[in-house]
Amino acid sequence: MKEEIQLKLQAYLDGELPAGEVKTVVDLLAGDAEARELLAELTNTRNAITAHAGEITVPATREFYWSGIRREIERQEKTAPAPAQSASLFGMLRRLLVPASGVAAVLLAVVLAGRQFAASEGGTFREEVETTFEDSGAFTYRDYSSGTTLVWVDYPAENDFAEMDLEDILEFN
Amino acid sequence: MAEIEYSSTPDEALVKGAQRGDMGSFEELVARHRDKIYARAYTMMRNEDEAVDLSQEAWVKGWQRLAQFQGESSFTTWMTRIVINLCLDQLRKKKRQRAESIEEMDEESGGVERQMPIVTVNPTERLERAELRARIDKALGQLSEAHRTVLVLHEFEHMEYKTIAKTMNCSIGTVMSRLFYARRRMASLLQDLKKPD
Repeated sequence: MKEEIQLKLQAYLDGELPAGEVKTVVDLLAGDAEARELLAELTNTRNAITAHAGEITVPATREFYWSGIRREIERQEKTAPAPAQSASLFGMLRRLLVPASGVAAVLLAVVLAGRQFAASEGGTFREEVETTFEDSGAFTYRDYSSGTTLVWVDYPAENDFAEMDLEDILEFN
Repeated sequence: MAEIEYSSTPDEALVKGAQRGDMGSFEELVARHRDKIYARAYTMMRNEDEAVDLSQEAWVKGWQRLAQFQGESSFTTWMTRIVINLCLDQLRKKKRQRAESIEEMDEESGGVERQMPIVTVNPTERLERAELRARIDKALGQLSEAHRTVLVLHEFEHMEYKTIAKTMNCSIGTVMSRLFYARRRMASLLQDLKKPD
């Protein structure tokens, strides 16, 4: 029997044969004993398997089975903020860069103001200026006569990350 | 606040409760349907430990995705789809880890099923329920994963050919061919199992 016919017989059994082909299969079954036998075999097998459904049960008590599920739900909910952890490198950089950029902005403002003041005094302003920044540990020294500004930054900086080795920082993330 | 009587609450209300975060409602749903979800995992994986793990994983995913359940199908159908997808993922992982067996390659390409003699006597007739179950179970275990999966999806989940094809990422023709082979092989195996009687 051709494969095409066999698969049509099966589709007929499963109710998946296109309506236009049903008559062809019915006629085949009427005149072909082998086709009838094959259909009977497929039907018996299908019925036996279908009867088998619903016979399998969990090999564990309700409490034991549920406790495993609940534990996993709770574990995953505890670790749910994981994406935030993966972004902690960015967070750490932000924590470091925001104060640093603030310091830089203040320094820039001081430098610009100093230049403006020096220019308004006809370049005769010779005072040395020291500006300290308590948070960063940085301070500046400016010599207007030579047009030089020096910025000192204490190292290591006085913050948590400054106390950490590179390995610790990587591990932290 | 009145104590909720979970055991007499219908599935729909339990689902709504679970969607609001009530773990008690979800526990009742698990208790009611755990056998069906486990059975599906077991018929596909043929291993109790794996089936327990995958069915529990399905429940965890079910809890996490409850907001997505809109009630288009029954809750058990929705959960069954989750466990089937997990099993298919697991089977694909296994398949990648090992080469296809020669037998499986033959099944796919050789059309062995067309040459099998037709089993004219119903091999499961007059069998005790437990014995029938044991024989079918053993025969299912002898099918390749691909053939067993098609059979499970069609006979147990009543999926149409096109749905199985979509689920298994193959053509409808492949589904029909695999289903045909699986049934014919089952008939043959069940007959062989009957011979010692």
